[in-house]
Amino acid sequence: MGSRRYLVSKTLQAVVTLWFVLTFNFFLFRILPGDPVAVLARSEKLTPDDIARLQHELGLDRPMLQQYFVYMQQTLSGNLGESLTTTKEVKDMIGSRMLPTVVLVGFGTLFASYFGVVIGIRGGWRRGGRFDTTSQYGSLILYSMPEGWLGMLLLLVFSGWLHWFPAGGYTTGGLTGTARVVDIVDHLFLPLLTLTLGYIGGYAIVMRSSMIDTTHEDFVQTARAKGVPDRLVRKRHVVPNAFLPAFTLIFLSFGFVLGGAIVIETVFSWPGLGLLTYQAIQTLDFPVIQGVFLIASAAVILANLIADITYGYLDPRIKQA
Amino acid sequence: MGTGLRKALAGAAGIILLVLALAGVAQAQSTSPGGEEDVILRVGVSADLTTDNVFAVSAGSDWAVITAEYDMMQKFAVADATAAPSLATGCDHNEEYTEWTCTLRDDVLWSDGEPLTARDVAFTYRFVIDNKIPQYKSYFPGNPVFTTPDDHTFVWTAEEPTFAPTMPPWVYIVPEHVWSQYDGQSLKEIRAVSGMNPVVSGPFMLTEWTPGQGFTLSRNPNFWGPEPTVDRVDYRVYTNQEAMIQALKNGEIDIADGLTPTLINSVSATTNITVQKVVSDWWLNLAFNFGGQGPDANPLPALHDLEVRQAIQMAIDKQAIVTKVYQGAATPGDTMIRPASAYWHLDIPADEEFPYDPAAANAMLDDAGYLDTDDDGVREDPSTGESFELSMPASSDTTGAVEAGEMIVGFLKQVGMKVELLPATDTKMNDYWGSGNFDMYIWYWSGDPDPNYQFFVFTSEQCGSWSDGCWKDPHFDDLYEQQRSMMDQAARQEIVHEAQRYEYEQVPGVVLAYPNWLEAYRNDRFTGWIPSPGADGYLLPTYNYDTLLSVKPVVGASNSGSTSIPGWIWLVAAAVIAGVVIVVIRRGRRTGADEA
Amino acid sequence: MATEARVVRPAKVSTWSRRRATMAGHWATFRASRRGMVGLSILVFFTVVAVASPLLVSEAEVSPALATGPLHAPPQVGYPLGTDNFGRSVLDLLIVGARVSLLVGVTAAIGAMLIGAIVGISAGYFGGTRIDAGLNALTNWFLVIPWLALAIALATVLGASLTNVIVVIAITSWAATARLVRAQALTVKERSYIERSRAIGGSHWHVVTRHVLPNVFPVLFANTILMVALAILSETTLAILGLSDPVAISWGKVIESAFTAGAMTAGYWWWLIPPGICIVLVTLAFTMVGFALDEILSPRLRQR
Repeated sequence: MGSRRYLVSKTLQAVVTLWFVLTFNFFLFRILPGDPVAVLARSEKLTPDDIARLQHELGLDRPMLQQYFVYMQQTLSGNLGESLTTTKEVKDMIGSRMLPTVVLVGFGTLFASYFGVVIGIRGGWRRGGRFDTTSQYGSLILYSMPEGWLGMLLLLVFSGWLHWFPAGGYTTGGLTGTARVVDIVDHLFLPLLTLTLGYIGGYAIVMRSSMIDTTHEDFVQTARAKGVPDRLVRKRHVVPNAFLPAFTLIFLSFGFVLGGAIVIETVFSWPGLGLLTYQAIQTLDFPVIQGVFLIASAAVILANLIADITYGYLDPRIKQA
Repeated sequence: MGTGLRKALAGAAGIILLVLALAGVAQAQSTSPGGEEDVILRVGVSADLTTDNVFAVSAGSDWAVITAEYDMMQKFAVADATAAPSLATGCDHNEEYTEWTCTLRDDVLWSDGEPLTARDVAFTYRFVIDNKIPQYKSYFPGNPVFTTPDDHTFVWTAEEPTFAPTMPPWVYIVPEHVWSQYDGQSLKEIRAVSGMNPVVSGPFMLTEWTPGQGFTLSRNPNFWGPEPTVDRVDYRVYTNQEAMIQALKNGEIDIADGLTPTLINSVSATTNITVQKVVSDWWLNLAFNFGGQGPDANPLPALHDLEVRQAIQMAIDKQAIVTKVYQGAATPGDTMIRPASAYWHLDIPADEEFPYDPAAANAMLDDAGYLDTDDDGVREDPSTGESFELSMPASSDTTGAVEAGEMIVGFLKQVGMKVELLPATDTKMNDYWGSGNFDMYIWYWSGDPDPNYQFFVFTSEQCGSWSDGCWKDPHFDDLYEQQRSMMDQAARQEIVHEAQRYEYEQVPGVVLAYPNWLEAYRNDRFTGWIPSPGADGYLLPTYNYDTLLSVKPVVGASNSGSTSIPGWIWLVAAAVIAGVVIVVIRRGRRTGADEA
Repeated sequence: MATEARVVRPAKVSTWSRRRATMAGHWATFRASRRGMVGLSILVFFTVVAVASPLLVSEAEVSPALATGPLHAPPQVGYPLGTDNFGRSVLDLLIVGARVSLLVGVTAAIGAMLIGAIVGISAGYFGGTRIDAGLNALTNWFLVIPWLALAIALATVLGASLTNVIVVIAITSWAATARLVRAQALTVKERSYIERSRAIGGSHWHVVTRHVLPNVFPVLFANTILMVALAILSETTLAILGLSDPVAISWGKVIESAFTAGAMTAGYWWWLIPPGICIVLVTLAFTMVGFALDEILSPRLRQR
């Protein structure tokens, strides 16, 4: 059946993309100049002998191809190696940073897409109306703001001037139970607001133009001609069809949101994967960067796959193809 | 979008509403003062702990922890960081300085109740040498032999005269009965040993550690010294400096360690916060490259000309770097031994220093024949025809290096030199350094209180190894050897001063600044800090742990002034969200009815 | 649609004059778009500032070493937007920064456009072949990988210089263009006159340059304008993370130095807010112009 073939081909495509990510990651980070052992050498007074010994222990002296196979094999069995700077398991380091990012990106995407879609529907439906004009300028302005700067602005106002929220971090520390959860929410508020505001604009624009496209489709005109009430045309015919491409774009933009999270986490010291990436790149901690890349890419690939499958499921035209 | 999704969103909004309400309640509660059983010192740090394994320490917080956990055989004196009694009550040497005998205290127990003896000392030192522990092995020159005639006598026998035992070696003594099992394993395995609930001899031990967030030191019940007032030291990690300052202002922490200089303005105006500008134990270094590291090392030949180097020194306004880059939290640099080594550091008198005088620098270069013949604003070297275009990597991991670099670009432009600033992480700096592919670079040096190592890296034989830019000067090498073989401390001090002055005049590099380490504490919370070394020293354990033994709460200290949102905001927010939820649900019902 | 009539009138001269007429028509439509005109005015203003910046501000005034103003001073006479940590006038920095920010944005966008156009046209033109599949996989891959993570890694590998920032932005942002162009090229290829052109012996090169490129160009142009906005935002992001050129003064760099100096807690609003407003204005302007062009040039969005 067509739909199964569609599913299989999309999944296969995702797997190939993932393999490409793995391979690319491996080679990109071998090209990086700068030998991690040399860093240790300066800070810890190593002699050439020690350096050779460390290189051997870290496997950096083996042939490239051999390193590649070892890397693939290990990665596929869930072993991401250990950090060059902390000698801790990358898996564990990523694990401990996962939750903050999932919370930030998850809620951020949810809020931004919800409000963006709602604004886009209203604006696109009454194109040129007052709401549309206002919301469009609003969306454009939000879309034009660098996320990092938006975060700093919110920090300046709500933390620097009003002292309503903490200037960054995850918790105040020393708290337990409900107080701790509340404290985390307190710290989460500004970064989450930044991420939400940063992406509402884009989503609203996408949904709006999708609405406009759909409005001009024949079946909408037909429905109108048949005398279906306006509100029902919008609800039954336009929104469901307009939502589809917007929905795909929201999933496709997941990589951008992750990117935004890197900056926002840096600005707010939110201890998630973004901050970890930034810190790891500062020290050229290859295994950590590789691990984060892998996780982030896998998440994005998965998001795309979900979008594809849902799209195929919702849009009968694709199923038949 | 169906009603299902709408309901789900309404549900999500409801949950958020609940969380916000909880937040409001809990914020109101958290402002009330808590119990007062334990005395807890809360420290804000910018670097997380990476390990408390003595043989694997690297980042700043690692040192803070092991310094509180362990003892050295002889410690660094509070006043000047020279050797002082600790586990050993004293050390004596024979006539030739080849044999040192140290007497150990007999009342020291490890935290697990085992006695600490001379064998632990000998084991630790032996462990460092045999397993080539990189951080420490240079403390044991000349194949020393360690013997323990009895439990409280430790003998260090060297092949040649040495003052190494009283530098003193910055090695914390570990328990043999815990560490002997790792002896002979690979460096990687030794480094991987984790030290939770460690066996220690110092006043505190690591009892909690949540990576990325913080760690806690608790009192060692078996500690041999005076009992500290503080029961626990809570370290909280702030990757964000501003969050740390805010936490200090709000009273969430009592002291903040390692503030960036650009931020001190925001605390120095606050009356209940005192800023400690810790005397510098590192220096910002502009090193010239003389070449010779390898095929990629092609520095500007004119740098071999002393007049060129002196002209560069005179074209750089160090005071301006101190003011603009470090916001005054530094002193202009002169010699290669940092001021924290007060006993050894030579402070060149102001009237003997190279002045900041770009006009004079220009005149010197003109007189030496380096003219701008093609009139492009950049001088040329008449002997090679090369123009003065200098590549200058700067370490982006070093506080102020890149900013200082930005300024140097401008300063040297005034004297007809074109400088290309290349910021680089320390990893990349290593590449430049190793290959010699640079004309000059900005990095830092720091190290032991004793000057021996610092001199050592500037000797000719260190080209291709530790030397910044392969400066080779036989006279300096000679001075290095002299101070190394001089056993009399006062006489050695004189040679050390002479070597510093000579190096300053020869300008193998420019010591740009001695930046202060910055600590800021709430003077209404804790008192009794013991700075070390000297009155301008560190308030938190760095060279020794004495400060932790004496620090105590200020009488009547209160917990006040945390960040919070005024109550009415919470009410308004809750009302707005409740309104939105109701509207969404009702609209959902209405449209649902339409469809039916 | 006008373009489809082209084959009937092969004469070169008339093609040109017709194109000119189309352009004039487009310009008239554009002028009627208020958003487009507002955007264009903003761009003209900032371009003038950028071009004239050497006349307005001397090098010494924005030199960290030689600037003589007070440090971290709020707005006052002589320093209408206050000063930064080196004692430089923030207004001067913004004037000089306009040059770098616009340069990076435009160059990177053109770079991305070139890569995207080449890949997209090749893929579209060879649609269905193995070349298309390969290029498509490459494009997809670049679309999938989180762009900032890739950009950071590349920027670290290449080192922090203005050229590298441009290269990094171009490399990480061509994929969307390629996909768009490929789709467009595919539809163009299906058109009958291309079949005919090939049938009468037109080479690949001829078909691409004479038929595909002109048809793809409008979409490409609007897309590039939109891309400039993204490129300026990307430069800002990289600068905030400390990966841009340390010496070149861009608006992003001004934000980064305000950030590292703790402008938020210290309340140095004059140092933090204005560069962001400049970025928002210029990004907004490019986006508005881009959208206006998009509506004119791609018939899909044209109303009635």
